[in-house]
Amino acid sequence: MTLVQISLATGFALIFLGLYGALSNRNILRMIVSFTIASTGVNLVLVAVGYLPGREAPILDTIPVASAAERITDPVPQALVLTAIVIGLGVTALMLAYAYRLFRARGSLDISDFTELKW
Amino acid sequence: MTTRMAIPLVLVALLGTVFFALFSSYTPDASLNLTASYYADQTVPETGAQNIVTAIIVTYRGLDTLGEVTVLFLTAAIVGLVLSQSKAPSAHAGAGGLPSGELLQTGARMLVPVILLFGAYVFINGHLTPGGGFQGGAIVASAMLLMLLADPAERFSHGLISKIESSAGLTYVILGLLGLLFAGGFLDNKILPLGTFGSIFSAGAIPLIYVLVGLKVGAEFSSILTSLEETEDAE
Amino acid sequence: MVNPLLILAAGLGAAFLLGLLRETSERAAFHTTVGALAVMAFVALSWTVALASGQTDPVEMLTAGAKPPFAINLRTGIAEAALTSVVTLTGLLSAFFMRRDLLRLGRRAMAVLLVLIMALSGLIMTRDLFNMFVFLELIVIATAGLVLLSKDTRALAAGFKYLVVSQVISILLLIGIIFTYHANGSLNIDDISEVPMGANGASLAMFLVLIALILELKPFPANGWALDIYESAHPGFSAIFSAASGSAALFAVYKVLAMAGPDWALLAAGIGIVTFVGANLLALAQTHDRRLLGYSSVGQIGLILLVIGFADRLGDSFLYIAGGLLVSHAIAKAGLFWLSGMVKARDLSDWAALRENPVLVVLFAVFIAMLTGLPPFPAFYAKWSFVHVLATDGAYSLMAVFLIAALIEATVLFRWFGMALKRSSGHSLHISLTGEAIALIAAALAIAVSWVWGNLSGQENLITLVPLLFALLFLPLDILPARIKNVLAIAGLVFWFAVTKNGLDPLRYVFLIIMVLGGAILLLASFHATGRRMGFYTPALLMFAGMGLLVTSETSFQFFAAWEFLTVGSYFLILRGQDSEPHALSYITFSLGGAFALLAGFAIAANGAPTFPIENLSEVPSRIAPYVFVLLAAGFLTKTAVMGLHIWLPGAHAEAETDVSPMVSGILLKAGLFGLFVLLMEMGRQELFGVDLTIVLVWLGALSAFIGAVLSAFQEDAKRLLAYSSISQMGYAVFGLALMNHLGWLLALMFAINHFVYKSMLFLAVGGVKERTHTKLMYKMGGLITLMPFTFVSVLVGIIAMSGVPPLSGFGGRWIFYNAIMSTDLRLPMILIFMAGPVGFLYLFRLIHTIFLGQLKDELRLTKEAPFWILLPQMLFVGFLLSFAILPGMILRRVDSYIGTLFGDTPLVWTGKIVDSQYGTWNPVAIWGVIATVFVVVFILLIWMNHNAQKVKQFNIVFSAERPFKPQTTHFAWNFFAPYRKAMGFLETPVATSFWSGVSNMLHGTADFTRKLYTGNGQTYAVQLLFFVIAVYLIAMGGLS
Repeated sequence: MTLVQISLATGFALIFLGLYGALSNRNILRMIVSFTIASTGVNLVLVAVGYLPGREAPILDTIPVASAAERITDPVPQALVLTAIVIGLGVTALMLAYAYRLFRARGSLDISDFTELKW
Repeated sequence: MTTRMAIPLVLVALLGTVFFALFSSYTPDASLNLTASYYADQTVPETGAQNIVTAIIVTYRGLDTLGEVTVLFLTAAIVGLVLSQSKAPSAHAGAGGLPSGELLQTGARMLVPVILLFGAYVFINGHLTPGGGFQGGAIVASAMLLMLLADPAERFSHGLISKIESSAGLTYVILGLLGLLFAGGFLDNKILPLGTFGSIFSAGAIPLIYVLVGLKVGAEFSSILTSLEETEDAE
Repeated sequence: MVNPLLILAAGLGAAFLLGLLRETSERAAFHTTVGALAVMAFVALSWTVALASGQTDPVEMLTAGAKPPFAINLRTGIAEAALTSVVTLTGLLSAFFMRRDLLRLGRRAMAVLLVLIMALSGLIMTRDLFNMFVFLELIVIATAGLVLLSKDTRALAAGFKYLVVSQVISILLLIGIIFTYHANGSLNIDDISEVPMGANGASLAMFLVLIALILELKPFPANGWALDIYESAHPGFSAIFSAASGSAALFAVYKVLAMAGPDWALLAAGIGIVTFVGANLLALAQTHDRRLLGYSSVGQIGLILLVIGFADRLGDSFLYIAGGLLVSHAIAKAGLFWLSGMVKARDLSDWAALRENPVLVVLFAVFIAMLTGLPPFPAFYAKWSFVHVLATDGAYSLMAVFLIAALIEATVLFRWFGMALKRSSGHSLHISLTGEAIALIAAALAIAVSWVWGNLSGQENLITLVPLLFALLFLPLDILPARIKNVLAIAGLVFWFAVTKNGLDPLRYVFLIIMVLGGAILLLASFHATGRRMGFYTPALLMFAGMGLLVTSETSFQFFAAWEFLTVGSYFLILRGQDSEPHALSYITFSLGGAFALLAGFAIAANGAPTFPIENLSEVPSRIAPYVFVLLAAGFLTKTAVMGLHIWLPGAHAEAETDVSPMVSGILLKAGLFGLFVLLMEMGRQELFGVDLTIVLVWLGALSAFIGAVLSAFQEDAKRLLAYSSISQMGYAVFGLALMNHLGWLLALMFAINHFVYKSMLFLAVGGVKERTHTKLMYKMGGLITLMPFTFVSVLVGIIAMSGVPPLSGFGGRWIFYNAIMSTDLRLPMILIFMAGPVGFLYLFRLIHTIFLGQLKDELRLTKEAPFWILLPQMLFVGFLLSFAILPGMILRRVDSYIGTLFGDTPLVWTGKIVDSQYGTWNPVAIWGVIATVFVVVFILLIWMNHNAQKVKQFNIVFSAERPFKPQTTHFAWNFFAPYRKAMGFLETPVATSFWSGVSNMLHGTADFTRKLYTGNGQTYAVQLLFFVIAVYLIAMGGLS
């Protein structure tokens, strides 16, 4: 397995772990943590896809501009992953705030206690 | 194993087959694709930034970044909204726990300026070295976190944080509009001279934008942290 | 023109600016918010107008001074501009609507609202895949924030469920995006669409992107979370969530589908139709108004997704169709949510509170009609075009599913409307002038877009039709007293008759007389009403407008639009009756079902032609002609209430108001007859699977005539008796028409005229009796002959005419009828319809005997004659019947010669006032003479014999110590035909009724069972979501490979 494959596989594994955790744990906090695991996996997949074997980071302090195209990895996924991380963080913070409110409202963190709205 | 556990497992396994198909058919590119090689060749002449990722984040995909900053802004606002609705009676506020020790407080007081300085360094040099506004902002906010942890009774002015946040955001939008007026489009960095490649004052408006982003991100994180911390008091 | 990017910049800038305002004044923050939204809406609208009028071209907006795909670019074409207008306007209006709650929560909430609207606009305009993701996440977060505006504490849980689901969606989306980027080397939507799919797992990546965006559309059944939000969120926000977020997400899917290529379109269409059907079905079981609106939103968005899936085949008309549906959905749904903010309690029947404010009732009706796709709203044109495209493509089963689901949707909405109009609510209205003004603005926008869609339709612009405008004129005029409005209405009808009568063939002329002039005569009875009589004239005139337009229509579009007008107008009229709620609902359901059959028939017949003249029905290729015939005939037979499709009629006609019953019975039924006339005239005999369809019609007619008569005889309610009698009479007419010969047609026309006259008369008479006795049950009446002599005369004349005994015009009908059936070789139905005659006597006898003869009831001793205005039209009809009996030629002759030109024969020979046929002679004048002589002789004889008659007192009947089980059982008129009931009662078994209630119960049962799927657990919703993804994946991969 190459480096790319390992990181891809790890990323996917984290996603599955996270999703499984989020779908099987009833505790809201555990669900949130599971989702952060899953989004870490997603981020890992994102950067792994941009990686070209044997190349360097796309910062041109040591690499001459002329040969940049042959020596750097794909910078786009790296830019995307930053955005993805920040968004993931935002959503997590929001979910935590919600969890706090839900707990204050019901004194419970069990997702199956919040089913007044249905059908 | 109960069905409650089994169903997610089966579903995740099935999803696994979908992702496995992606995984098994994946072959890394041998050379940069069209977009990436454009960035490799054109970033320097077009933006003057040494760090290509920064150029992409701040300029080429500047709209994403504006959105990203907005996500944090939004989160900060909503977290404030969510938590402000369930404030505990003010009698309890600030009365949480024992005062932290002398050592901790002094240490924190010494470290905070250094951390702040480091954060500022990271976002000011975003176009040259790894790092940038988000990273710098997060470091700045970590200084706040340290202060909050060292002295839970500490209060920051929400007003000030919000002022910094808002004016940085507003300036960002205005800079973007200036690009529309005076350069090639919304968020074009060429509204300022590109300067000498590799120096601090280069890459047009990128450093300026990254400073704004850094301030804004720092302020937003701080605002989220203080909001969360204030609810802690309510326990 | 300013750069459309300003929409984004203004939204964001204002959101940031809010933080700089002085803390003390939330009012200033609100003004800033509204100002920014107004700027955004203005920019979007100005681009829409400029692009629509062709002043500018679509604009590409580059960012960062680099070309796509290297930098993000955005686009504003007509679709983008229109959608951003929808989004920003909804945001602006909702901001006003939510003013109080925004001020309560402060500037942070306002900033969130601004960002939401900004992000929705961004999602619409951007051409970059990852940028779409960013905007989508902004929308998710902002949505989760704005859910908190609600004071409903359950909203918190709904918001969390939404976040959970969004997390799963964003995982799928990100993985899809990055692998799409890997496969294509670009994130630009236009770039990706140029690269062929297939290589490098690209199609899988595309699947993930697509399914993630489709999940944002809340497809059935993976949408429990969305329904919870609809149920618990602030109505102002729900309006945005439904109208704005829905539109933006749809456009995102459209962009991705265009990028993914046609292979995926089918998948989207499939999900769309399943969602449309599923959501509407589940809505059947809802009693919570906002949840119902949520289901309806999901359904509408599914429908538009279906249309998007068909984008390729729709070609140029795609934007017109999808836009028509979308704009109707957006305005109507936002309007309904806003209205729901003014209704305090959440049960559907609590909307009865709206009746405190007539304006709101009108708005409610407008939004419901718009959502259902009734003319003249854009969705009507869209549905019309869409069904036509489906028909041209031969996608008949899809068309059927679509129309059935649309019918269920209409049922759901009209059931709700009926509740609001007829039930009572324990809560008063939450009156808010702002809310009302906002809903009014929405209605004004509805009219504006209706005009635009009408203008673009290539057909008639329905909203400019004079009769429609005339009907709508009565909305503002409703403050006038009823009598003034009545004068106006009658004048309008007479004027319309005078304007349109020229150039019509005699057949249409007769129908125009019945429908328009007849309407004017019946409106005379409405002078009886006092006060304002709000809400009567607009529906009545809408119905008459429909009928007037129906007769003069030339194309299938005009015909169908007129048909819908008259259906809707009559529905509102019927709904006015006291206990009419369930009957009005079954009326509208059957009528719309019939209308959809017509739509399908016309669409198949048109076969792609943009306009289809009615007369081209005769040129429909023989391959499809029988199907067209069946569909159109089914539509018309629903209106004439043929046996099996009749169950709506008795209730609807019997429960209507006194002056409405004759309108819907005497006049409205003729619309179906007119349709059948046109259909048979153009299409003639058709064969399907070797069966001559006209023979089927003959049988249907005969059965209706016979069974209708039998059922009528067993009624206790006088108005129901008349209603069933209508079924029987229409059966005769259908029978005559289906004979497909000269005399048969003359018979049908004779019945059309006669039935109008005597059924109007009898309904008015019975209505007059009801006004005085306050009951419709015949055994509670009796002996009214001396108290209501005029009414008695009209009933007497009416039943003589109707039973077909000489000398009145009914005899003329019978005479032609006997001639007609003699000339056909269908013996069995002939015998059946022959038998219907004597049965007719039974019920008619009952009418006069039980009401007017026998003993006078004690409590009815003070009964007065019916009011003058109800009597007046009756007396006119009596006069007409008498003269028509002597001089049938004044109408019949012209029509006879016209029918002769159609069939090319002259079976009747008119010499002076005498008519000759193959089988005999009819001399009306001579018959009159004979009858008059016999009558006078018998009358004198009776008077002479009367002197030794013994009078029987009311109470000299004694029930030998028997205590009656039910009081009415002691009345001789109760169960009058018990012996016959023993013999023919089996016909009374409600086969049709139980069939239809079985269908309805099955649908309701399915709905009630299926909705248990939505357990309310956020985790279960996420599981369902993943399950949905995998199911779709398996189906898609199966389909693609």
